[in-house]
Amino acid sequence: MGTVELDGVGKSFGEVEVLRDIRLDIAEGEFCVLVGPSGCGKSTLLRLIAGLEEVSAGRIRIAGRDVTALESYDRGLSMVFQSYALYPHMSVRENIAFALETARLPRAEVARKVAEAARMLRLEPLLDRRPSDLSGGQRQRVAIGRSIVREPAAFLFDEPLSNLDASLRAETRIELAALHRKLGTTMIYVTHDQVEAMTLADRIVVLNAGRIEQVGPPADLYERPATEFVATFLGAPSMNLVRGAAAEAEGAETLGIRPEHLRADPSGPWTGTVAHVEYLGVDTIGYVDVGEIGRLALRLPGRAPMVPGETLTLGYDPGTLHRFRAGLRIG
Amino acid sequence: MPRHTRRETAVLAAPLVLFLLAILGFPVILSVVYGLSETTFQTLRSPSFTGLDNFSRVIADDRFWQAAWFSLRFGVITAVLQCALGLFLAVYLAPLIARHGWTVAVLIMPMVVAPAMMGLMYRLSLHEFAGPIPHYMWQWFGWSPAFLNARNVFATVVVAETLQWTPFAFLLLLAAYQTLPRDVAEAARVDGTRPWRLFWKIELPLLMPTLWIALFIRFIDGFRVFDNIYTLVGSGPGGITTSMSIYIYEAFLRQGDIGRALAAAILLFGAAFTLLSLAQRLGRRRRAA
Amino acid sequence: MKLHSVLRWAVFAVAAFVMNFPILATLVTALKPPGEVTRNPSLWIESPTLENFAIVLTVSDRLNIYAYLFNSLTAALIGAILPILLCFPVAWALARRGTGRAVLFPLVVNLRALPLIIFAIPLYIMYATLGLLDTRVGLGLILAVVNLPLAFLLIVNAIQAIPLELEEAARMDGARLPRILRRVVLPLCRPAFLTTFIFGFITAWNEFLFGLMLTTQKAVPVTVGASFFFATSGGGVQWGVAAAVMIVAALPPLVLGVVMYRRIGGSMLGGAVKG
Repeated sequence: MGTVELDGVGKSFGEVEVLRDIRLDIAEGEFCVLVGPSGCGKSTLLRLIAGLEEVSAGRIRIAGRDVTALESYDRGLSMVFQSYALYPHMSVRENIAFALETARLPRAEVARKVAEAARMLRLEPLLDRRPSDLSGGQRQRVAIGRSIVREPAAFLFDEPLSNLDASLRAETRIELAALHRKLGTTMIYVTHDQVEAMTLADRIVVLNAGRIEQVGPPADLYERPATEFVATFLGAPSMNLVRGAAAEAEGAETLGIRPEHLRADPSGPWTGTVAHVEYLGVDTIGYVDVGEIGRLALRLPGRAPMVPGETLTLGYDPGTLHRFRAGLRIG
Repeated sequence: MPRHTRRETAVLAAPLVLFLLAILGFPVILSVVYGLSETTFQTLRSPSFTGLDNFSRVIADDRFWQAAWFSLRFGVITAVLQCALGLFLAVYLAPLIARHGWTVAVLIMPMVVAPAMMGLMYRLSLHEFAGPIPHYMWQWFGWSPAFLNARNVFATVVVAETLQWTPFAFLLLLAAYQTLPRDVAEAARVDGTRPWRLFWKIELPLLMPTLWIALFIRFIDGFRVFDNIYTLVGSGPGGITTSMSIYIYEAFLRQGDIGRALAAAILLFGAAFTLLSLAQRLGRRRRAA
Repeated sequence: MKLHSVLRWAVFAVAAFVMNFPILATLVTALKPPGEVTRNPSLWIESPTLENFAIVLTVSDRLNIYAYLFNSLTAALIGAILPILLCFPVAWALARRGTGRAVLFPLVVNLRALPLIIFAIPLYIMYATLGLLDTRVGLGLILAVVNLPLAFLLIVNAIQAIPLELEEAARMDGARLPRILRRVVLPLCRPAFLTTFIFGFITAWNEFLFGLMLTTQKAVPVTVGASFFFATSGGGVQWGVAAAVMIVAALPPLVLGVVMYRRIGGSMLGGAVKG
């Protein structure tokens, strides 16, 4: 039973309110990603669940049990830290065994579980090394090994990939997804990287300024963002926002359209000058200055014949529009 | 803080706090009681209360003020000399030390010898029959000063203290010099700055905080000097090398005047405390600025 | 370039020679036979001998150097180890919870700046009442006070340098405070403990004033013992033997200091900057 329930959780540091009235039910076995810009409170929320910080308001339940007043060592969770926080004076084996020895498991069982985790994470040849002798990716795997041997009710990850280089990050992402499929344990994962959020999550929780903006599966959030913030936070380049008369014409205060939904269309409503072109291989991003509407980004497949200075008329399919009023989605 | 955390903290702090109360708290009370009483070694258990009498006797004692003046002068002069020499050695020898680290070990040897032993070693070195220094003075110049007579003894103890503790200032400043940001010096050199100008305009200002700390520590240690002067010359001819510490020691053990010794100690404590809080306030303002 | 290098070596040689002169002179004297010392006070030894050291290292009515050395060793060990034991738990509380930041920490650190004689007299009276006068434990206890400020500073610095996440990871691993302190914080403080110990041992071994005032016969440390010897030998001067005593007395801290000079330099900066 690895459900995690947050019931009106709030946190203030002195006068500063970092989180307000967070309500969230995370299901057994769910991979839940908390995402948001820096300072949105996502890491604080994770630390509240971990018990490393005390809540200022609300209750936290793990596996149905109210743990709000419990210290972290009694909550039965495990956590992978951004810095990995491996014990530098212990070997890989000792690092992984530490939690089991703390729980006073019989020595044979400790050895068996360490061996099992080492096999699963391909750490066997490294077991007697110190963390300082390992590469970044190896340290990362040790940190994961250390957390899985405890067989926790839920795993907490605090930006675990941010210290890896780009190619290793992609690789590890896939391994993490595989690990989740294999273990089936609840995972709560904090990141500021929307690619990690989109690729890993069963459900994404978008946080902004201490509040939840939207909760839902990645596709829902991308296709039907509930707020302007979510609309622009997910997707790169960001969704184009158009205000003023052009938006009013479509019955909205703000009109949103993703770059891939714009196309060159001589009969389209918006004409402007191409300001800048980025060729990315798979597709080409063009930035077009359209009078008072401002700069619009459009994504064209492959190598599109666009050059800066050229005049371009843009059109769209009305079905792809997102309409917002007062920052919230309408229709 | 939750209650069990507070209890935890109390347990953690208990060893040190109890130790301090036992070994310093009790003596502080004793100091005040005996400082206000007339006591000798014979009447140690039954001090008779005399109010501030001890304090007025100390304040009226010329030798107390001489000792204070000696300590102050000694502290300031030795601190300045040590820091100047230490700074020169640290900066000038830094390139040499970077390649030959062992040279540091040779230079810091004096400061790991007990000051009391160092005092005795100087006594031997300066001895008119057994000491090499007078021997070479006679051999080379046909003359040797009486290092420990009333005229020269102050300079002698200043030199002895300076030569023993210059390594301290040197080591502190060397450590600070080695952690100076390299890129600043390199940028300056690329900009065509000469070594001398680099030192005055860039390195010295960056070393100033450490230099102040070194001066302060060396002054404190010079001001409270006891061991090396005591073993080299005692209170000196006519008592002219009586430092504050030696004054109190003599009042206590030589003259058995416990009340006066304690009154002087309390006055010294007051002076040191005032000086300390002043220095710290200054340090804080400097840091804030 | 070349010239500067030669000049630097010259400056080093002069500084090393001048500052270490008394040690050198004492060593030379200790290696001269009794007759030679006053006849030839130069740094040249005509007939080197270990005779003086043999006398010093032989137990006699006049001198039992082993008793002095044993007293110094015991008191210095107490004086160097006790502060570490006392400071470690409270240093953690200070570094992580701010305990004692207002009063305890400044109080202890400022002890460094107070003239030791202030404590010597009331301690003499207290020790007289408690029967601690002229005991190695009594001497060791006050030497521990002398070493408290630096021990406190160095250990607090060491704990502050440990990433907080390591302790949080241990909490997530189910460890309570005692286990975190023992298995995570303590092992990572070991280098700081070693530095503190070396510093404390040298300081305690070299201490003189408390040895002079609080011991008379049984617990006299070697610094004070050597000076006794020197004073009584004033009339019938036995310079060679006196010099040998001093060399023996100075040797332990000297060896420790020379071997560990790297540690001493770095930690002095740490200790001074925060103080």
